Amino acid sequence: MSTPARRRLMRDFKRLQEDPPTGVSGAPTDNNIMIWNAVIFGPHDTPFEDGTFKLTIEFTEEYPNKPPAVRFVSHMFHPNVYADGGICLDILQNRWSPTYDVSAILTSIQSLLSDPNPNSPANSMAAQLYKENRREYEKRVKACVEQSFID
Amino acid sequence: MSENSRMDENDNDKKEVSQEKMFTLKKWNAVAMWSWDVECDTCAICRVQVMDACLRCQAESKKDFYGKQDCVVVWGECNHSFHYCCMSLWVKQNNRCPLCQQEWSIQRMGK
Repeated sequence: MSTPARRRLMRDFKRLQEDPPTGVSGAPTDNNIMIWNAVIFGPHDTPFEDGTFKLTIEFTEEYPNKPPAVRFVSHMFHPNVYADGGICLDILQNRWSPTYDVSAILTSIQSLLSDPNPNSPANSMAAQLYKENRREYEKRVKACVEQSFID
Repeated sequence: MSENSRMDENDNDKKEVSQEKMFTLKKWNAVAMWSWDVECDTCAICRVQVMDACLRCQAESKKDFYGKQDCVVVWGECNHSFHYCCMSLWVKQNNRCPLCQQEWSIQRMGK
């Protein structure tokens, strides 16, 4: 069954393959185009460097009028990532636009890794360390980078 | 005067005949490029060309009275264009242009 949401996701996948952004990759799961697996590589010159962070993206039939649910599967230590992997990012909530596609979502999350927003924390410990004890913050992030190789 | 000019012409004729042809054009293919004269030719919501039917109408293969697909283009005051179908679904939840976030108001509709 092909619905507008599914057709749009096929176009997103085509665009992601033809014009892949650096440091991110994603693909629909084998039997369901509404659920995607993705990987974001930790950006250079950040404590996340070398990490391979896995995510799941779940779309509804209302896509692209409603944003998908995006969640880190890999354990993350980041001011804007909840303990369950949920992401606090305006464009995935109230600033969503139907012009975004999978490529735009993944690159936005990638830039959130480089530029956390400690003023709207999802992980208050990470936010506090980011603001007050950058060395300890980086140590904790490096630990989750190493964890990302295993899980 | 008139005799002079005639002589000049004769001279020229002689020159042309004596010169051998460098090449001859045997076949000529013209290639033309075209695009729609609009600022955004692809609907940023469904990612289909605005002059084609949107993804929803393609899926439902809606046809109008004349058998053409009835899926019009809408231009906002901000000059951004989308399929009317795509835009009418979006403005129900947020009355802003998805590209520039300006308050959405329709400038014109049609093809």
